[in-house]
Amino acid sequence: MPIVQFTPFSSIIQPDFWHKLTNLKIDVLKLSDDALTVSGSYSTGRTVKDRESGQEIALGCTIALGDGAFDEREFGVPQGSVRANGTFKNYNTIEDFKAADKTSLFNQEAEKIWNQILTTRSTALLTHFLLITYADLKKYKYYYWFAFPAFVAKPAWELNGEWKGAGGEFSSSQLGSIHTQLKLQKEPLAFFLVRTDTQDVSISPVEEYETFFANTPSSAQTIAFVDPSAAPDSPGWPLRNLLAYLRALYPATTSTVRVLCWRDEHPVVEGLEWRSRFGVLEVGGAEAAAAVTRPQAVGWEKNPQGKLGPRAADLAPMMDPKRLAEQAV
Amino acid sequence: MQAIQSHLFAVREYLSPVLKESKFKEHGRITPEEFVAAGDFLVYKFPVWTWEKGDASKSRDFLPADKQYLVTRGVPCLRRATSLAYTDADEDAERLLNFTDSGAEGDEWVETHAGRKPNMDSAQNAGVIDDIPDLDGPQDDDDVAARIGGLSLASSGGAGTTETPDLDDIPDMEEEDLEAGDEATAAPKTTPAVIDASQVEVAKGNLLQVRTYDVMITYDKYYQTPRVWLIGYDENRTPLTPSQIFQDISADHANKTVTIEPFIHSASLQAASVHPCKHASVMKKVIERMNNSVVEEQLAQRKPSGSTTPAAKDTKKKWPFGRKSSGIGKEEKSGEDEEIEGMRVDFYLVVFLKFIASIVPTIEVDSTTSF
Repeated sequence: MPIVQFTPFSSIIQPDFWHKLTNLKIDVLKLSDDALTVSGSYSTGRTVKDRESGQEIALGCTIALGDGAFDEREFGVPQGSVRANGTFKNYNTIEDFKAADKTSLFNQEAEKIWNQILTTRSTALLTHFLLITYADLKKYKYYYWFAFPAFVAKPAWELNGEWKGAGGEFSSSQLGSIHTQLKLQKEPLAFFLVRTDTQDVSISPVEEYETFFANTPSSAQTIAFVDPSAAPDSPGWPLRNLLAYLRALYPATTSTVRVLCWRDEHPVVEGLEWRSRFGVLEVGGAEAAAAVTRPQAVGWEKNPQGKLGPRAADLAPMMDPKRLAEQAV
Repeated sequence: MQAIQSHLFAVREYLSPVLKESKFKEHGRITPEEFVAAGDFLVYKFPVWTWEKGDASKSRDFLPADKQYLVTRGVPCLRRATSLAYTDADEDAERLLNFTDSGAEGDEWVETHAGRKPNMDSAQNAGVIDDIPDLDGPQDDDDVAARIGGLSLASSGGAGTTETPDLDDIPDMEEEDLEAGDEATAAPKTTPAVIDASQVEVAKGNLLQVRTYDVMITYDKYYQTPRVWLIGYDENRTPLTPSQIFQDISADHANKTVTIEPFIHSASLQAASVHPCKHASVMKKVIERMNNSVVEEQLAQRKPSGSTTPAAKDTKKKWPFGRKSSGIGKEEKSGEDEEIEGMRVDFYLVVFLKFIASIVPTIEVDSTTSF
C-alpha cells in the first residue's frame, strides 16, 4: 500500500502584518525579543480552472497572517477559514536570527503540542506553528522562517485503496448536511467527527470522540478536517497531527481510520462533484504503547529555492517613501 | 508629490458631501447605502467576498462600522496581462464591453488588450489623461507617457533588476540538517522557480507562475463610485512590487489610471488602485445596456400573465394611485413603468466587477459567471 503523503503548509504573509510588526517593534516591543502569540488562518483548498487550457490548477496549501495577527483576542477569523495560533519570536539583529537555536525552539513547540494532546485532549494546538523573524526596519526588509510541527508516524500511514471523491462514499444530501452543520458551529471547527446513521449524518468536535462514537460500528465512523490542500492525492498538513492525536489517545480503535478531507467551503451546484476527498488509512504494527513518548516532528518551511532556509519579504517598493515618490505620477 | 496629491484627494473627499439621492441609473454613481446594499448582495451571492472593518481610526462614518470595505483574498492570476497574445482575432474576442452602437472608437474604454489600432494612440486618448487631476498642471502628454514608459517594466523588458527583490540578500543559513528526510511529506509537484520580471516574456504560458491577489473594494465619496485596490503576491508568496503589479493590468490602464496609493482604510498600507474618475460614466453605459435588457425581459415575462388574468391586470392598474402618496418619484406615469423596475442597484457591484475584470484581464476577480 502506498504511504500517505501530506501537502505541507506554506505561509502567506500579508503586507499589513509587516506594517503591524514595524509599529509594534518601534512602539511596544522595542528591544525585547520575547516570544509572542500570533494568530493566522487557513481555509479549504481551492482550485482554479484555467480558462485557456481548461486545466484545474491547485492553489497552494496556505496559512495566512494579516494585520490582526498580533491581536489574539480581537482576531477575527475570515469567513470560511479556521484559526491557527503560533509562537512568534523576533530577533533584534541578523546575527541573533542566524544564531538562534532552531532545533530547540522547534522541539519546544512540538513538546507543547504533544503535552496539550495528552493532558487536555484539546485539538486547539494541532495546527500550532512557530515563526521567527528579523525585521530590517531601515531597509523595509523582513526575514522570516515558519515551522509547522507535525508528528511523524512510525510506521507511516498507508492508504488502503486510493483517494476518491467524497461523493463516492457519501450521498450528496449527506455532504450537504455536513456542510450545513459545519456552518452552524459557533466556532469554526478545524477538525470534526462524522457519524453516519442510516441515511443521516451528524458531526461533532473531535474532543467528544469517546461518547460520540460509542456504539457506532467502525464503518460508520469518519474523521474529518478542514483541508487546506487542493491536491487530489495528498491531504493537507493538519491531518498529520490529527492522526497522531487519535493514535495517542485512542490507540485501540484507530489502526484503521476513514478520513474525509473537507474541501467544500461552498455547497456544490446541482450536477457538479463535491471536491472533498475520502480515503481509508491504515497504520501497520501494534505499537499502541508507544503513545507515551513524543514522536519525532518535522515541518520547517522551505524557501523558494526548495532548501531549508528563511524567506525574505522586501517591502521597500511598497513602503519606502523615496521609492514611492519615484513611482508617483 | 505623491504625498501632497494624496492629501489633496483626501481633503477633497472629506469636504465633498455624502451623496444622498440615488442616481445610479442616470449617472452610474451610488450612495453609501446603495454601496452597502450592493455589497451585501455580492457577499450573499459570492461568499468569497467579505466585509471588513479596516483600521478603526480610518473608518468612515457614512458607512456602517463593520461594513467599511469589501475584500476577497488569494484571487489567482494565472498569466501576465503583458503576455497575452495580441492577435487581431483575440482582440475581438476579448473586448468584453463595447458600449457604443455607433462604433465610435473613442468610447471603447475597456479594451482588455492594448489596442494596436492607430486610433488608440495617445493623441486620441488625451482626454483620458487630462481627466486625472494632476498638480503638475498642464503637461505634455508625451512627456508623461515617456516617464511612465521608463518606469514600466512590462514594456521595457529587462529594466527590472533593481525592482526585483534581491533574493541573494537572504542570509546564507540553510540548515539541511534541521530535519531528516520525511517520507510522508508530499514533494511539491513542481519546483517553483524564481521568475524575475525580465523573464516574463520567455516564461509566458508557463502555468507555474500562479500569482495571487487580495482585492479590496472601497467606496469613494468624491467620485461616488466603488474603487478597487490590489495587493499582489508572487508565486513564492512574497509581495509584488508596483512594476510587477502593472504586468497584470491591461496596458491601457497600467500607464494611465492605475497607481500605487495609500490604502484609505489602513494607516500605512500601500496598494495599487484603479483611479475611479471614469468609473461613473462607464458604469452608466453598462447599466443602461443591462437595464434595457432586464426591462425587456421583465416586459416579456409580464405580458403573458397580463393577458391571461385580466383581474390581475386591473389590480396592477390601481397600484400607481396607491403608491403616489409614498412619494416614489418618476415612476408614476403608468402601470407599465410601475411594474418594470429594471436593474436593481444590488447588481451594481456584480456589474462593476465585470468592468474591473476587463482592466485586470488575468486576475480572476469576476467569480460571477452566472450573471
